[in-house]
Amino acid sequence: MVISSYKLRAQDAVSTTEQLIADIFEQYTAESEDAIDYDTFYEDLISLSENPVNLNRTTQDELDKMPFLSDDQIENILSYVYRFGPIQTIFELQLIDGLDMTDIRRMLPFVRVGEASETQKKIYGQDLLHYGKNELFFRLDNGLETKEGYCFLPEEDPKASDVNSGNYLGNQLYNSIKYRFHYKDRVQIGFTAEKDAGEQFWGTQHKGYDFYSASVQLNDFGKFKTIVLGDFRANFGLGLVLHPEFGMGKSSYVLNVTPRNSGLKKYSSTDEYNFFRGAGATVQLGKVEVSAFYSNKMIDGDTVNGIFSSIYKTGLHRAPSEIAKKHTVNQQIVGGDATLTVSNFQIGFTAVHTELDNTLQPDKSVYNYFYFSGKRQTTAGIHYRMRWQKLNLFGETALTDNGSMATINGFTFTPVSRVSLVALYRYYSPEYDTLYATAFSETSRINNETGLYLGAEVRPFRKWKFAAYADSYRFPWPKYGIDAPSLGSDYLLQADFAAQRNMTMYWRLKYEEKQANLSGSTATMPELVTNRKASLRYNLTYSFGNFSFKNAMEGNLFREAENDWTYGVIASQDVTYKFPKIPLQMDFRMQFFDALNYENRFYSYEKDVLYAFSIPMYYGQGSRYYLNVQYDLNAHFSFWFKIAQTVYADDREWLSSGNETIQGNRKTDVRLMVKWAF
Amino acid sequence: MDSWFCLLKNSDTMKKITALLFILPFFSLLSAQISSIIPTSKSIAGTSVSDKNDWTAFNNPAMLGYLEKPEIGIQFENRYLISELSTKSFQAGYSKNLVNAGVSFSYSGYSLYHEMLFGLILARNFADKFAMGVQFNYYTAFFAASNSYRGALLPQIGLSVKLTPSFSLGFNTFNPFQTNINTEYVVKRIPSVFSLGTEYFFSPELVWRTQIDKEVSSNYRFATGFEYQMIENLSVKLGAYGSDYLVPCLGFGFNSGSFLFDLNCELHPLLGLNTVAAIKYRFGTRK
Repeated sequence: MVISSYKLRAQDAVSTTEQLIADIFEQYTAESEDAIDYDTFYEDLISLSENPVNLNRTTQDELDKMPFLSDDQIENILSYVYRFGPIQTIFELQLIDGLDMTDIRRMLPFVRVGEASETQKKIYGQDLLHYGKNELFFRLDNGLETKEGYCFLPEEDPKASDVNSGNYLGNQLYNSIKYRFHYKDRVQIGFTAEKDAGEQFWGTQHKGYDFYSASVQLNDFGKFKTIVLGDFRANFGLGLVLHPEFGMGKSSYVLNVTPRNSGLKKYSSTDEYNFFRGAGATVQLGKVEVSAFYSNKMIDGDTVNGIFSSIYKTGLHRAPSEIAKKHTVNQQIVGGDATLTVSNFQIGFTAVHTELDNTLQPDKSVYNYFYFSGKRQTTAGIHYRMRWQKLNLFGETALTDNGSMATINGFTFTPVSRVSLVALYRYYSPEYDTLYATAFSETSRINNETGLYLGAEVRPFRKWKFAAYADSYRFPWPKYGIDAPSLGSDYLLQADFAAQRNMTMYWRLKYEEKQANLSGSTATMPELVTNRKASLRYNLTYSFGNFSFKNAMEGNLFREAENDWTYGVIASQDVTYKFPKIPLQMDFRMQFFDALNYENRFYSYEKDVLYAFSIPMYYGQGSRYYLNVQYDLNAHFSFWFKIAQTVYADDREWLSSGNETIQGNRKTDVRLMVKWAF
Repeated sequence: MDSWFCLLKNSDTMKKITALLFILPFFSLLSAQISSIIPTSKSIAGTSVSDKNDWTAFNNPAMLGYLEKPEIGIQFENRYLISELSTKSFQAGYSKNLVNAGVSFSYSGYSLYHEMLFGLILARNFADKFAMGVQFNYYTAFFAASNSYRGALLPQIGLSVKLTPSFSLGFNTFNPFQTNINTEYVVKRIPSVFSLGTEYFFSPELVWRTQIDKEVSSNYRFATGFEYQMIENLSVKLGAYGSDYLVPCLGFGFNSGSFLFDLNCELHPLLGLNTVAAIKYRFGTRK
């Protein structure tokens, strides 16, 4: 028996819940080049591990919180409990169709076998005081090399006024404070304050932290399923109307193409744009679940005379030019969703209306000709989900007030328990451009795209799993950097092998063809060429006693048009040691990279302090290493410390550009995190 | 200046300098490594990173962890039959229950230009599942221009993991922090090498090794080789490595009681023959 107990996780290839969450996130984001909010992902799963799902009294919504499970796997778990009665022991998970050992190991921290008759108890104030958990997180980041933005010229220098006026006003430290209170999963309260590196903490331009956020979430209070106050997020349907959070995209979880974590939920991340500020509630009215919310907050934009050309989403307010954009636009949003669930069928209606007090007017170019401009926007859509036999149908169709449409429809199908298939068709009109959409797409912007995605997951033998997808897409209107309608395709094949309980490995082969402008072309008419990129990654994870190791190697080839192929290689060795007698864990990595061409760049996940997730980009030649330490002083205090350095060996004399420029070929980052639980 | 003038007057010295001026650029271009200070291992085609049976100075320090008896050894590499390019090394390892310790030394070059490397190694075998080693190296080079030695401390880390009884992985990194020596006139680059290799035993007599080396700013080096124990005292080795050229390698190993002798040859298509000879004495293994 492989699942002996949760305590035996230390012997598994992935040993801690934190590491497991990071591992799942890495699989999601391996193909992503966008900065993705890890805070929320981590917090959702760590909260789930603290309040594990009772398998004998669960719902699809609850199981949806485990993003590594496919729709079919969730259906199979629910169906098993329905058909055979309550699960008696966690070992029974092996009997459920479609769950392999990797899935079950991933599930273990987040599920439990409880009584089928458990009911939600009334909450009393005393319970909150006695059993509620408080956590305070304090994080500090610093770069050891001084960046240009912090170098001020003496006043007598003739260039002083020009250079100094563009520099950062604050110091190089990043600091955040996060407070979190939760009583089971019923009451959650959070507060966050953040100062980015370069932002002024106390001075002429700014006093205190640059960003504050507070949130309250109450679950199962009387008729209210959820109440959110303060900062929150609202995710509904497949993300065409409302999904300001990272959704599902192309990843090695090839079957998971629809977003999860639907509904209203508190916001406690440090992302300064993707959230709402106000209040919302969800009520269960018979078979209909109704959610409504209102948000009113200031956002950043380059506003001049009541017009701004783009929303500034980075949340960085370091230099005067960035500060000038801060909170120049008021944004009011009202929205909601009503979803009817009847047996195996679900249909919902989502709508959102936005009012801005200044006019968004992008600097018109061909590629952004259809981008939203104006002061107000309304978007509405219908989403559905239906299960029939072994077929799961789902989709969403949305319209904006300019009459443009977006639709996404698909199905998953499990003909036999070892084979699962998925198909997904999407059409996003070039004119469809709504502000809070995050759906399955080749790019981060949900418009101007049509495509068909096919995926399959096959478990032909014990210990082996194969996953593959093919995605063919077309942009009917020019995109940024592509001056004519274009097309492309993506292919992925991944083989996972769980050789032993303490050893897993995978091979990932990816191939992509995509059209782009011919670089250096001076022709009047746009000239598109096809760029090709192929990559192969091998990842090996194994553990012995208190040591765990990871080897990763990846190579890629890139070819622009008919030019020569260029290559890139990256390889790393990770060692993690958990001391047996003291609560100390150390992670160490050595890595080298060799990708002279930017198009051969790599993104490689690395371990970090709690609540942080690093996927640095590498190109050029060089090496990187880091040491990450976690020490639990006692039940109340835990410390994380990380030091990482990248050294380039390709004779470059400075790194980065503008205010971020560092003289030399080394970049060193230090991070400290303290957690106080009380 | 006087000493330089005297040197130039010496015709033998002039010949050496002239020869080296021609050969060194070729050597640096053709070799995967930018320095000859790291001794070539006795493992065939330099596939030492996963070779659990043999620890070579300044190669994978984790292999010292597998040492069961104390040993000392010397090695001489006659690089392309040019004595000025030769590398001499010495190593000694001591085995204890908690941790194995060793020292090593390497000298490369000649009187006008030479490099030396001193190493102190600590390594441990963890329940015969894996071994780890860390080595603290001090590198020093003689710079004729300033008539002085300049040095730097640099670490080396090694790992060897037995994934199955017959298959293992090895990892080694030499100078991972890319430490260099900066003088008034030049920046002397010390190689920063990452190596990854595998070892597979077809049978107790036949082993196959592969290895990839990457000096961070040089070309990759791919190596593979077989080692066959023909009889109890004699083994033959056959392999090849490729960087810019494919280089075939042939070697023999002979043991007699506590003594182990190794002779490896490789034939570079441009630079010619390279030979490595090593003698090792293992204490407490006399039959």
